[in-house]
Amino acid sequence: MTNAREIRFESPTFSRRIKGMLGVDFYRLFHTPLFYIFLAIAAIIPAMVSAMTVMPTPDGGDSALYSGVWQIIAASKSLYVIESIADYANMNMVFIFGGIMVSIFIGHDYKSGYVKQLFTTHAKKQDYMIAKTLACAFAMACMCITYLIGGTVGGLLAGYETDVNVGSLIIAILGKIIMSLGWASLYTFLNVIFRKYFGISITLSFFFGTGILIIGAAAVVESLSLPASFLNMFLYGASVNANLSSNIGALMICIVVSVAWAVFYNALGTKILSKSDVY
Amino acid sequence: MNAIEIKGLSKSFRGLYALDDLHMTVPQGAIYGFIGENGSGKSTTEKLICGHLVPDCGEITLFGRDYTDPGVRSRVGALIENAGCFPNSSIYQNLRMQTINLGISDYDAEIRRVLRIVRMEEHASLKFKKCSLGMKQRIGIAMALLGSPALLILDEPINGLDTDGMRMMREILVDITQTYGCTVLISSHILGELEKIATHYGIIRQGKMIMELSAEEMDSRAQVFTTLKTKDIDGACKVLSEKYADVRLENGTIRIIDEDDTAAIVDYLMKQGYVVSEIQKNKVGLEEYYIELMSKKEAE
Repeated sequence: MTNAREIRFESPTFSRRIKGMLGVDFYRLFHTPLFYIFLAIAAIIPAMVSAMTVMPTPDGGDSALYSGVWQIIAASKSLYVIESIADYANMNMVFIFGGIMVSIFIGHDYKSGYVKQLFTTHAKKQDYMIAKTLACAFAMACMCITYLIGGTVGGLLAGYETDVNVGSLIIAILGKIIMSLGWASLYTFLNVIFRKYFGISITLSFFFGTGILIIGAAAVVESLSLPASFLNMFLYGASVNANLSSNIGALMICIVVSVAWAVFYNALGTKILSKSDVY
Repeated sequence: MNAIEIKGLSKSFRGLYALDDLHMTVPQGAIYGFIGENGSGKSTTEKLICGHLVPDCGEITLFGRDYTDPGVRSRVGALIENAGCFPNSSIYQNLRMQTINLGISDYDAEIRRVLRIVRMEEHASLKFKKCSLGMKQRIGIAMALLGSPALLILDEPINGLDTDGMRMMREILVDITQTYGCTVLISSHILGELEKIATHYGIIRQGKMIMELSAEEMDSRAQVFTTLKTKDIDGACKVLSEKYADVRLENGTIRIIDEDDTAAIVDYLMKQGYVVSEIQKNKVGLEEYYIELMSKKEAE
């Protein structure tokens, strides 16, 4: 004998679903140590780099890589292919730490089996991609801020000069914060595609985060005699373009590139996820 | 209306069919015991219903709606393989996350409610990784019960539970079907436990549903038999064989198949000069029925 009764079903709207999913991600972010550890890493690394990075001089002595505090935050110009470690070691490093953090964050979803709980209920694959991208972008933006604090304090303690074009500095910082969205979408995409292989997803996130692929793109652009600014269409290119000599145009490029890649990776990730098993 | 209706469902993994044209009907309000050997396709079916796997073909409807409909999905709870909790978070935090996902505003009361049901109230602050296997199963049930689901899907929920835990699980399942009208799809290898609560059964083999029946139908199909003991067991067995078609000697006991008139048996043996020291009416249980059915299918 069964006990059948009338049951009412209310379809949650897209915004309610996203709110729920984002709520879970932010709750996890703030209630587990992972986020705070990476905030600390983002602050400590630039402080250490600014205080400790030295280059040998011809007379056998050492000289600091940086001359100004703000070089730790952003390069002085658009250097798509780096010439020295100083060109590289700036706020773009956050995107490497961020890649690792996103891998661990999403990896925990699958390893714990929590993702099953999400998809058993009303959550859709698209909701998952969007919520993860936004939560991770927020985390990376926060890391940019702790990087700024750590780098500034480290640079000041190291006695570097503080002269800077304030407008360009703000644009560089804002540009990199905005780029967090695009980078987060790339890492979310990589991690849901390689969800069964944590090692691969974290390695790829690190690899892409270093921006090393820009070297290949730069070679292609050069061989085709295209302007170097063409590289700004890539995440790394746009991130590098936000530097200490940037103007408002660089910020616009960051917004367009970041949003465009976020939409692309979310759409592609959703498409692939919806056709594949959860785990 | 049926809670679950599956038509022509197939699912393969690298060319190997785990489910092959499966048809299944779970009436609303039922406790549906899903039975089958290891690898028969029980978990695959449950994962497909939960939306964890993508079917090759076929149709799944839940309460008359497509199974992907968010409205119906928000009323589904499941415990498949494990509780799906973060090990470093507390039990309360894990449940809290699911209440956020489900959009439950009075979350504290809801968490307390489900913890009370699974008798874990006093352990709310315990980290999930510190819990025993039995506790983890209970937490999994609590997770699945959040938001008062209309459909509960449980994959081997009794595994790892002690006797008290199994009794508690029985009580929970009976209570939620009777109090809330929840439909339960439960797979288990512990058929004795399943038999105590299931209102319907589905028996699956090699990815195909070979039989669906209600508990009443199962009861009417179940073979009756009588077991008895006497001093001269061989002699009594010989005498009984002259009157009854199927008499067997098993472990020092005589078993008379398809016969439950104990008075007539005792009377007959008395007349033949045998004194019955012990006699009992019996019915073939789910486990024996299932084993016999599987043996028949194996022979086919």
